[in-house]
Amino acid sequence: MQKMGFKQTTLVLMLLLTLFIFSLLLEIITHTSPASLITNIVSPEIRFAIKLSLLTSIASTLMCIFLAIPVSYALSRHDFPGKTLISTILDMPMALPPIVAGLGLLLIFGTSTVGTYLAGVGLKFVFTPLGIVMAQFTVNISLMLRIMRSTFEGINPRYEHVAQTLGCTPFQAFIKTTLPLSKNGILAGSVITWSRGMGEFGAVLMLAGATRMKTETLPIALYLNLSSGELDLAIAAATILICISGITLYLFERKGGIAKLY
Amino acid sequence: MNMIKVKNLSKKLGDFTLEDIELSVKEGEYFCILGPTGSGKTILLETIAGIYNPDTGSIIINGNDVSSLLPKDRNISMVYQDFMLFPNMDVRKNIAFGLYYNGFDKSQITELAEETAEMLGIRHLLDRHPSTLSGGEKQRSAVARAIITEPKLLLLDEPLSALDTVTKVKLRQELSRIHQLKKTTTIHVTHSFEEAFALSDRIAVMHGGKILQIGTPDEVFRKPNSTFVADFVGVENLFHGKAVIQGDLAEISVNRLKVVSSTLKSGNVSLSIRPEDILISNDPIESSARNSFSGVVAEVSRMKSTVKVVIDAGIPFRVILTKRDYDDMGLSIGKKVYLTFKASATHII
Repeated sequence: MQKMGFKQTTLVLMLLLTLFIFSLLLEIITHTSPASLITNIVSPEIRFAIKLSLLTSIASTLMCIFLAIPVSYALSRHDFPGKTLISTILDMPMALPPIVAGLGLLLIFGTSTVGTYLAGVGLKFVFTPLGIVMAQFTVNISLMLRIMRSTFEGINPRYEHVAQTLGCTPFQAFIKTTLPLSKNGILAGSVITWSRGMGEFGAVLMLAGATRMKTETLPIALYLNLSSGELDLAIAAATILICISGITLYLFERKGGIAKLY
Repeated sequence: MNMIKVKNLSKKLGDFTLEDIELSVKEGEYFCILGPTGSGKTILLETIAGIYNPDTGSIIINGNDVSSLLPKDRNISMVYQDFMLFPNMDVRKNIAFGLYYNGFDKSQITELAEETAEMLGIRHLLDRHPSTLSGGEKQRSAVARAIITEPKLLLLDEPLSALDTVTKVKLRQELSRIHQLKKTTTIHVTHSFEEAFALSDRIAVMHGGKILQIGTPDEVFRKPNSTFVADFVGVENLFHGKAVIQGDLAEISVNRLKVVSSTLKSGNVSLSIRPEDILISNDPIESSARNSFSGVVAEVSRMKSTVKVVIDAGIPFRVILTKRDYDDMGLSIGKKVYLTFKASATHII
């Protein structure tokens, strides 16, 4: 009897929690009528935000992929002094509140020597879309590194050894064996990185600011419109972000297992 | 003529260390490196192949120091225990892999892949995916991939260890046949003395990153230079001989002794008789067992609960007795005794 009571309690708690989360999502989506939701989604401001979010998140995802592959390969295949320290530092952005990472970025790329120099050669990060890309990249690179590292660690280095004895340079051996074998990891990592890029707020706000129709990504659009009382526009932005999360989760479930890393 | 010479080689990698490895393998020789798991055999092979750079020492192939060359420039092929067939390619692409990087044209590649697959009896598997193959088929494909480039040196890292007993014997014979055919200088790493005994011209016994003994299988087996080697090669009775099939039995001449086996094979063979299958007695025994010899006790070593006795019957037989049996029979060095074992206890390996 007692056992049944325990089981029922856990099941009831589970249902309550599910109901809570489901009603959150439902509340946002049904707050306005479907017709007005569509009107707001196609409004110039939200269209701009969608476009900017897509462009910046794709750019930052590509940056993450191209850097994470060689760096996580080095971490998974080689041993060197200080490896634990380096790997902890590389993990930091994942544990850090994004707004703190954003502050760091603002200090580096702001009026510092580095920032001034980069601005001089045309790379302006503060209050620009380029800053959005940089902020998303910084916050997401750790996760991409983790996923790629565990992917590479799961692939036997002997494939590359065999390929090398058969005439490949070390780089060719990597391209012919380990890289194609890590396809699923790269795919899963890219999807998470992209989805988190689309939703990144804190670091973007710090470095790129929140300027309407200039650095207005979807989360920034939500924030700006909520602040100025334009609830319908804020809800349109939120609805799109919910859809992206849903799609990401779905892709993950299909790839199975890799979701554990998230 | 030494084809490969490893001089004074040391390497530290994680928990493994190779210390002062000295060995040379002759052109066309089948050389086995024998040792327990963790003795550094794989790292030695991988260092010879160029995957790792030695910390000290050098590797000389045909008179040239190759220690600083990339693996691709050494003309050495490698086969691993776990096959390592590329899962992103079918068998044909796997086998032909090495040809793409060595300047062969398309028609040559097709032809050579089919020819090599034919040699290993896997031509019908060329369009299959590696994951659909049995262990034996996988290893045949891996061997085909390794020999297609006509390497100067073939490195086999426990190539039979992941296979079941029947497949193991078949593939061992296959390795021997391919070696006779191609005469490729081969270094084969194994932890099975039986395997090394059956295949190799010479054996190096390795333990804890060091080479303890190098010699012919008979030398290592009959005259182990340390207790480790003696323990490791075990108390099996292993002999080389010439077999002739007579009716439903094979008669094998080992020195002047004729041993009968129910395994039907002829020609030069290796045979093994497990010590516990040999019956020892003070008087001749009347029985259906086909092998019966007389000999004298040549050596006695007492172990924890058993006694190992070596009986010289023209060739040395090792027999294990319980302490009690040993005492009851009143055995001592120089005593004449009789040995009896069945034809089915004589395994031709």
